[in-house]
Amino acid sequence: MSGGEAVRVFDAHRLLGQLPNTPAGVTADGLLAELDHLDIDACAATSTAELFGDPADPAARQAAGTVAGPRTLAVPVIVPAVAGAGWPATVDDVLAASPALVRACPVRHRFDPLGPVAVRWWPRLAEHGIPVAIDAAECGLPVVAALAAVHPGLRILVLSPGYRELRRLGELLETFPGVHVETGTVVTAGGVEWLAGRYGAHRLVFGTGAPRWDDAGARFLLEHLDLPAADVAMIAAGSARALIGTRWPW
Amino acid sequence: MIIDAHGHVGTWGDFFVPQPSADWLVATATRIGIDAVGVSHLVAIGYDTRLGNRMALDLARRHRGRLGVWLVADPHDRDGHSVVAEQLDEPGVWGLKLHPDVHECSVLDSRYTPYLRLATERGVPVLCHGQTRSDHSDPGDLAEAVRRHPGLRLLAGHAGLWPDGFTRAAELAAAHDGLHLEICGSRLTARWLEHLVAVAGADKVLFGTDACFLDPRVGLGKVVHARLSPADRDLVLGGNAARLLGSRARHDGG
Repeated sequence: MSGGEAVRVFDAHRLLGQLPNTPAGVTADGLLAELDHLDIDACAATSTAELFGDPADPAARQAAGTVAGPRTLAVPVIVPAVAGAGWPATVDDVLAASPALVRACPVRHRFDPLGPVAVRWWPRLAEHGIPVAIDAAECGLPVVAALAAVHPGLRILVLSPGYRELRRLGELLETFPGVHVETGTVVTAGGVEWLAGRYGAHRLVFGTGAPRWDDAGARFLLEHLDLPAADVAMIAAGSARALIGTRWPW
Repeated sequence: MIIDAHGHVGTWGDFFVPQPSADWLVATATRIGIDAVGVSHLVAIGYDTRLGNRMALDLARRHRGRLGVWLVADPHDRDGHSVVAEQLDEPGVWGLKLHPDVHECSVLDSRYTPYLRLATERGVPVLCHGQTRSDHSDPGDLAEAVRRHPGLRLLAGHAGLWPDGFTRAAELAAAHDGLHLEICGSRLTARWLEHLVAVAGADKVLFGTDACFLDPRVGLGKVVHARLSPADRDLVLGGNAARLLGSRARHDGG
């Protein structure tokens, strides 16, 4: 990175709440302390109750209601499904809430992202400029590719693609302009620079997936990228800002 | 002194690595403050141990003092331990590297015995891939290898690799003098590092990056930003490696 000016940083992928398989979860105060520790200005976070539990459950609704704060954008989980089995009940309910970003987990919540219900939701989200985050570690990049092919107007943020998928990521970015990639797990040697050099820093979004995934190394990498300062600033927050638009926190 | 105890150079068949070269690794290490990196060549791990080890030795000569070499031990090479024994005192050699999973041979298999005996006799450390629940490299088996070879100093690469095995690997390291934890891996977070240090003790945990599989900047960042005391951080970043490597850590190509 060239230039000495401090870069403002937005972590597009955080979890808030208890986790089933790690020693400690994250409270709202703990999240802010972690952001401060790593000089991260703001974040987008999903309640673990929505992710690991049933998003429609009252306990999950209560937890989800505590996510948003001055430095935290809430990323609700959606489950497009037949009446009575999904969350929220209709895509109109999603649009009414006007979230900055939504998260869909087709494998974890067992719905078909290309099924009859979901295919009615995606164009509506696209029309209203609401991007969808999909965890590649959960459902694999072929699901992302299939969704992007059917709904090219939908903006998709690929979470946690991992360090072994540069070939598939390159193909996705080359083919589908609406696809963006979270950088936190793109940790093979020189991987972020390779993607930025070919497909543009504006397609890369800083995010970590903490605390399930590591935030410290991802943050250090961001600070030491061998890219022009404008590209680093774009990855650090600019590309997320373009995705999120008017709901941006600063 | 910051010592990366677990590095590689070269390409790998499973996935694309944009920066596989020793030149990039050394330049990046210089930029972020890593003094030396111990590498095994991925040719040596992947398919031709003798060739890959020679390639690693050549690179260590080109990057004197910056690259150390973990000579890969091939359990399927009947005379491999003899070749490695002759190479152990070549400039830049740090010790032996075992990858029981790629070589599909348990660390406790008799085919590894000559290598472990050699490392013990010559006083060089062994870096061994360590993978929880693997039939070949479970940390419990690495602890058993240490028990069978008194005096052996064994680094459990990746500290067990999977999050559900980190605590057990740390407990094993705490219980076995010769067993240490090396911390590279995409699943090992700074939070887990803090946990490993708390359970195993800072003197049993060594910084490693898995470059060029993984980006060394990510590995260093985990230690830099972990909530460790300055003394513990110094041990993890290089103090422990310097102690285990002894004069080999100070190789300057002589």
